[in-house]
Amino acid sequence: MRHTPVYIVCSPRPLVGKTLVARLLSEFLLLKSGEVSAFDVNLKEPSLLEYLPDITETAEVDDTFGKMALMDRVIVDDGVAKVIDLGFHAFDEFFKMTEEIGFVKEAVRRGVVPVVLFVGDTDRVSARSYPTLQRQIPPSSLVTVDNEYIVRGELPQAFSAGKILRIGALPTFLKTYIDRLSFSFTDYLRSEKDSSTELHQWIRRNYFSFRELELSLILQQS
Amino acid sequence: MAKPAVIVVGADKGGVGKTTVSRTLLDYFSANNVLTRAFDTESPRGTLKRFHPDITEIVDMTTTSDQMKIFDTLNAVSPSVTVIDVRAGLLSPALASLRDIGFLDAAKSGQITFAVFHILGPSIASLDEIAETSSFMGGARYFLVKNFINDTQFFQWDQATYNSYFHRIKDATDLVIPKLNEMAYEQVEVASVPFLKFVANKGISDEAANYSFVLRGYVRHWLANVWSEYDRIKLTDIVGSTKPSSRGGEK
Repeated sequence: MRHTPVYIVCSPRPLVGKTLVARLLSEFLLLKSGEVSAFDVNLKEPSLLEYLPDITETAEVDDTFGKMALMDRVIVDDGVAKVIDLGFHAFDEFFKMTEEIGFVKEAVRRGVVPVVLFVGDTDRVSARSYPTLQRQIPPSSLVTVDNEYIVRGELPQAFSAGKILRIGALPTFLKTYIDRLSFSFTDYLRSEKDSSTELHQWIRRNYFSFRELELSLILQQS
Repeated sequence: MAKPAVIVVGADKGGVGKTTVSRTLLDYFSANNVLTRAFDTESPRGTLKRFHPDITEIVDMTTTSDQMKIFDTLNAVSPSVTVIDVRAGLLSPALASLRDIGFLDAAKSGQITFAVFHILGPSIASLDEIAETSSFMGGARYFLVKNFINDTQFFQWDQATYNSYFHRIKDATDLVIPKLNEMAYEQVEVASVPFLKFVANKGISDEAANYSFVLRGYVRHWLANVWSEYDRIKLTDIVGSTKPSSRGGEK
């Protein structure tokens, strides 16, 4: 049975690696299925639109018109995976809206599978926001992203209970390399012949994590 | 057979949302399987009739013949609940007429259940109506409906003003109608369907429609809040209906 996943990459904090996760995930989905729709709700941070302009469109949740334009698209079970890169400034408004309009319930009814990738951090804002997600997102659809580059140690206890997706830290010079707007993870895998490089293995590890996450979702649906 | 119940929804001031509240009442009774008929006094146009054409009749409450059409048939027709959407400026005259024809006395003696939903807007002019309207409320259940048509506070930031209006009438009950998202409201207007059908993504004849999922979500959330207010005042008990265990349209 076909299901359309909608990945929501989010955090109430800026500069925790949301766009990096959204980039990786979008490129993985594009490689796997040949098709993905990404939405950039991220006006005040590094932008997914700048990295993946061919598959990304901007979206807003500041007003009802913007909410309609975004949510009426992502609630459609058309077989095309969606990725929402949700800026920190839009976190509260977005999840207030999804709760009000009953997004999760309607998604289930329509064969759409929302997956929230919450990029964890050790601050109080993140700790306060996580229970908001737990209230409306089923545990099977709520994944904490443990970005080693940000957390630098153990994830706070509150985030550790559910599913966790680990993103390893890269050395600074490699981070600078992948942060270039012209860099593509999939192109790198294809063009770099030496599969033993640190970056090669890092990308493959992350793609493998996404594959595992996808499989676990499929198993839950069946 | 339950005794007839009459609910008057009105205000002397215009633009405070009388018809919107009437529509939520009709949807509420429909979802609770309470047979209801409605009268729209916005003659000759009839906004309520546009949304609920099957159960609504347009009447001119200032004429004796139409008053007879409403009140002489209370015991004769099968729906036990009658909702009257009184147009702007007509609430006080309508209540005076009801007093003159002995309807208020019948309510006082318990022959008829009578409730008034006095729709209040966020202005002193609107709140000033309370004193006048309350003088008719001897045998009626009187509800002061704070309809949040904008982000008003209803003067709660000024306790003296607030208390002078809302705590002066002893037997009045406050009801809160939260604000509905403007675009959602407008799309229901365009669709010209009851809120319930809009939420269910249906057209006027139950055909499949294509309303925005986001706007339907806003309407559903808002309607649930409005209905929880009606549940709070036990509206189905007031009109003498036994509430079913689950109601339609709330899934």
